[in-house]
Amino acid sequence: MTTAVADAHDAHDEHHGPQKGIRRWLFTTNHKDIGTMYLVLSLIMFFVGGTMALIIRSELMSPGLQFVHPEFFNSMTTMHALVMVFGAVMPAFVGLANWMIPMMIGAPDMALPRMNNWSFWILPVAFGILISTLFMPGGAPASGWTMYPPLVLQTGDAFPFLIFAIHLLGISSIMGAINIIVTILNMRAPDMWLLKMPMFVWTWLITAYLLLAVMPVLAGAVTMLLTDQFFGTSFFLAAGGGDPVMFQHIFWFFGHPEVYIMILPAFGVVSEIIPTFSRKPLFGHDSMVYAASSIAFLSFIVWAHHMFTVGMPLTGQLFFMFATMLIAVPTGVKIFNWVATMWRGAMTFETPMLFSLAFVFLFTIGGFSGLMLAIAPADIQYHDTYFVVAHFHYVLVPGSVFAIMAAVYYWLPKWTGHMYNEKLGKLHFWLSTIFINVTFFPMHFLGLAGMPRRIPDYSTQFANFNEIASIGAIGFGLSQLVFVWVILTSRSGAKATDRVWEAPRGLEWTVPSPAPYHTFDTPPKVRVAQESFE
Amino acid sequence: MNADAADRRKAVRRTTIILVAIALAFYLGFILMGLLRA
Repeated sequence: MTTAVADAHDAHDEHHGPQKGIRRWLFTTNHKDIGTMYLVLSLIMFFVGGTMALIIRSELMSPGLQFVHPEFFNSMTTMHALVMVFGAVMPAFVGLANWMIPMMIGAPDMALPRMNNWSFWILPVAFGILISTLFMPGGAPASGWTMYPPLVLQTGDAFPFLIFAIHLLGISSIMGAINIIVTILNMRAPDMWLLKMPMFVWTWLITAYLLLAVMPVLAGAVTMLLTDQFFGTSFFLAAGGGDPVMFQHIFWFFGHPEVYIMILPAFGVVSEIIPTFSRKPLFGHDSMVYAASSIAFLSFIVWAHHMFTVGMPLTGQLFFMFATMLIAVPTGVKIFNWVATMWRGAMTFETPMLFSLAFVFLFTIGGFSGLMLAIAPADIQYHDTYFVVAHFHYVLVPGSVFAIMAAVYYWLPKWTGHMYNEKLGKLHFWLSTIFINVTFFPMHFLGLAGMPRRIPDYSTQFANFNEIASIGAIGFGLSQLVFVWVILTSRSGAKATDRVWEAPRGLEWTVPSPAPYHTFDTPPKVRVAQESFE
Repeated sequence: MNADAADRRKAVRRTTIILVAIALAFYLGFILMGLLRA
């Protein structure tokens, strides 16, 4: 089957390859080109957001004000979050989806290729607008990524640009989500039944539904902020009869599923990698699908755990507390299944597997601190402290970001046709893993000791742990240069085989490496492909 | 274009329209909720 598919590709490429020069990237409708652009943009934004993180950590290296004004510090925390969430993590997963989903389900391309091009090209414009606010009178937005009114309404000239940028990011995400759902529902190869789909495709299908449901909610919330500021409405202004707490409810109705938007595709990636390097099929594939669906459903009914301190009836606190704790059940199913997949497997520890294993361990730490935060009476103490910062960074960095890195190492040979430098990959892994813990683990102690988040200065009692965290952050930042070097030099590595690894499963490994510009013009036979792996 | 491709095209269009409608409903619905509460 591999040969048949390869021949078909070769023949097709002679007639219809990519355009030359810049036009290829501007006007491309090819899912692989668009996936590459998403991934490159994501890497650039990762470094932009990382630079902001280093400014934050430099300021916090020791007590007292050293490098930046407090207002600029607040802008840095706000912009770091917006850039990392909307510019680094989400586009990276959309890039992976673009590259891999059509190949994994045996489709020739995404269902709506022109819209795919638009989805991508809106993003650089949105980030151009967002980053330009750093140079505007009044400075960049500084109210935190949550944009709570009335604080956010004090933003200077940057305010309408912030709102416009958020709208553009939302439109891009919604178009991307629609494209992914339509592709998965309509473009699968014959015999690729829903429950046969790889976990990465499944988790992305669920993620796309989440995106479709919550990005419009964020857009609605910021539209109301805009009309409150410029059109005399009082949706969130207490003086006009509005309710600022309503914004918090609406924001977190978006914000909590957003967390799962950033972690479900990571679950999918890890569910692809662990079986490959354990040389066993994924344990409990169907239960993983149901667990991911349950997590997605529960993510809609837990939003107010972010707002326990705002004041709510006891019954409300109890509901949101128990509903949040319930998420540990399907998450536990996933962790159990990954461990069971590895159990008695013939495991090897190449870079993607190392990142996946670190994901399982360190994401679990983030999950446990999440459980602690879910306990309403305890959360009153933890709220707005560095404990929260430690929690969500454990979920997002060794969680989402490590999964993205694992995915890049796993599929890079399929994209470039060459093996990356394994030694440097492992060096990148160990440096990242050590420094990420040096950075974020002390933040638990800082939070429990009472250090508030989003402040440029602090009491001297917090000095030591802050210094350790800042050294860790600088180390983690520098370690990522190794990642860039590995990617840049990957084309000089040994030629990759079509299957790349010893025991991968899935249609993407049946096409040549590098994957031809067009794949599966003729739908593949899924059963034949599966038998070839048995 | 063969019959299969035409059917698939129709299905793609139908799914897209439904999903766009869902997104718009969430967007307008939440603004309407704000209006009713304000």
